[in-house]
Amino acid sequence: MARTRSKPKAAATKETTPEPPQSTAKPLPPSTSNPPKVFVLPRHTSHESRIVTLNNPANGAPSRYYFCPSKGFYEFTRIAAPKKDCKSWLITPEKTSDNVAKEQEAQAETTTDNADTEAGLGGGYLTNKADMFLATPIDLLFLILPALAPKAGAKQGDKQYFLSFEDHLDNLASLSRQWKVLLSQHPSLKDRVEQRMAAVCDTVTAGDETMYRLSTDKLTRVLTRKAERMCTQGLPPSMEERFVKTALEVPVMNVLRSDTFTTTSALADSSATITVESHTTATSFTSTTDDLVAKPAIHTPPEVPHLLRLRTSLTYLSSSYLPPTLHPLITSSRTPDFSSLDTHLAALTKLRAEALALRSISDNISRKRGYDEDEGAAMEREEKKRKKEEEEKKKKSESRGVKQLKKVDTSGMKKLSSFFAKKAK
Amino acid sequence: MLEARLTQASLFKKVVDAIKDLVQDCNFDCNDSGINLQAMDNSHVALVSMSLKTDAFASFRCDRNIALGINLGSLTKVLRAAGNDDVLSLKAEDAPDVVNIVFESSSQDRISEYDIKLMDIDQEHLGIPETDYAAMVTMPAAEFQRICRDLSALSESVAIEVSKEGVKFTCTGDIGSGSVQLRSNTNVENPKESIEIEMTEPVALTFSLKYLVNFCKASGLSDKVKLKLSAEVPLLVEYPLSEGTNSFLQFYLAPKIGDEE
Repeated sequence: MARTRSKPKAAATKETTPEPPQSTAKPLPPSTSNPPKVFVLPRHTSHESRIVTLNNPANGAPSRYYFCPSKGFYEFTRIAAPKKDCKSWLITPEKTSDNVAKEQEAQAETTTDNADTEAGLGGGYLTNKADMFLATPIDLLFLILPALAPKAGAKQGDKQYFLSFEDHLDNLASLSRQWKVLLSQHPSLKDRVEQRMAAVCDTVTAGDETMYRLSTDKLTRVLTRKAERMCTQGLPPSMEERFVKTALEVPVMNVLRSDTFTTTSALADSSATITVESHTTATSFTSTTDDLVAKPAIHTPPEVPHLLRLRTSLTYLSSSYLPPTLHPLITSSRTPDFSSLDTHLAALTKLRAEALALRSISDNISRKRGYDEDEGAAMEREEKKRKKEEEEKKKKSESRGVKQLKKVDTSGMKKLSSFFAKKAK
Repeated sequence: MLEARLTQASLFKKVVDAIKDLVQDCNFDCNDSGINLQAMDNSHVALVSMSLKTDAFASFRCDRNIALGINLGSLTKVLRAAGNDDVLSLKAEDAPDVVNIVFESSSQDRISEYDIKLMDIDQEHLGIPETDYAAMVTMPAAEFQRICRDLSALSESVAIEVSKEGVKFTCTGDIGSGSVQLRSNTNVENPKESIEIEMTEPVALTFSLKYLVNFCKASGLSDKVKLKLSAEVPLLVEYPLSEGTNSFLQFYLAPKIGDEE
């Protein structure tokens, strides 16, 4: 074992043997099983607002919604800090003066049996996770759609029947018990439900009763309008980058095989951010690939980016808010005409495949012996070569006499060092 | 600081020519007694030892011991540029990277100057003790060269026998055998042709002819060559350098023992 300067371990173990010092600090209260959460709720909601559990329209799982009788429904979006970030919320009472705090504590003690409130920072609470729940408005339409949509078992060809509003309400109530309660408590909700239902349903009047049936066309129209509204503000940058920009990238087919690199060609009518980016790309390549950018392999038709954005929005809407049974109906509908987008994307895919094939050829050429792991071997080879050359050079510089003496049979001849002792230097 | 001046560049030329066929690189050890060299051939059966004492030089100055590691091939190339009668100067710093060699031709007022890059050579030095040899033969260098050349045509090795009768070189090869016997004689008219044999006891040893032929390249350095032999020790072939000084060029060669006998 290598000798080190470190002391033997015995001393270290001795130090740990004494009993750990008695901590004088008060032990922390155990964490609650139901920690407080941070909510951001809309302002000016009525006092009757509450959190209700309704089925998520997309997957049918019970989820929490914030309901205000006057303003409608809000869904909760959980905003969480990245898992690696140890962030937390410190929740303290609004009034910080001691008296008030004590008062509140007293109240808290009397109302709830929660002993935790008195511990910690002035009755504050430190949450384990820095989650925040943001209430954002949700169209009531999405919540009632599961009741209107064809049942999961129904076949494509099955015709849906017109049903009275009351029947639809019953349907809705059967999906979730809380709907029943809400509808009975808030009569105004019924009117709003009917209003939204009318927006997406064909109606027939039978006597004095109006019958409703979900109309795919109307629903698509409503969704398209929503999607268009999403697009007018521009998609969120991450969605734009992932679904629009990368999808529309035109691989540049270079004339020279050696440098086929892909670059984004300028999109004709892009949103503000896109234009800026494409300008920068264009300028950065001006010196070398001016002509290439000028004539990319395929032109992006001006309507395509918008169409793609629209479709992205629609896909997003239907995947997060529509019951799965409605998906095929929406995707098969023809109202927003995506045909030009489809042809363009197909052309792009083809181009990309070609560029990839081309690149793999040029890669083969340029990457010959270009691997990192070969570097060591190459150096070794170099070293060997150098040594060999040196040896050869030495051999060449040998005089004729020296060369001839190498051929002499020296058997039976002792080395001179066996006759004469080596001299110390 | 080394500054050595030889009036005859040919001397140094011949020394280097004689050594360069035995060793490739070697150290020229310079100290206040002169320039010395000791090196073995690749198979370590032969050794060359050279000593140029200060009195062999026209002027000599060496403040510190300096080892000049020189590739003899490179040195030969430079020395080829020297005329035989040129005055040769060797110069080097105390911790040199190069050795500076200047040839001055007195008749033509021509000065040529060369620098040779030095190398680090790790060579082992052998301590060679003063030995009383059983037999010592002094003969004309040309005669020894001739014998070695003639016999090397027949065989790889030669047996040298020194006895009362004289010295006998014998060889046996594939095509036959041959021998040359020299008797001790004193040539009064031409002392260079004399052959002297001093012997305390008869010696017979076998040596590689190729090595001997190689040694004979130093024949131009001197009229005489001395062969010193004792049983079971290396043969010493010695060429005195520049008469009247103690400078010399010596070759040692291990005898062949065993299957040849």
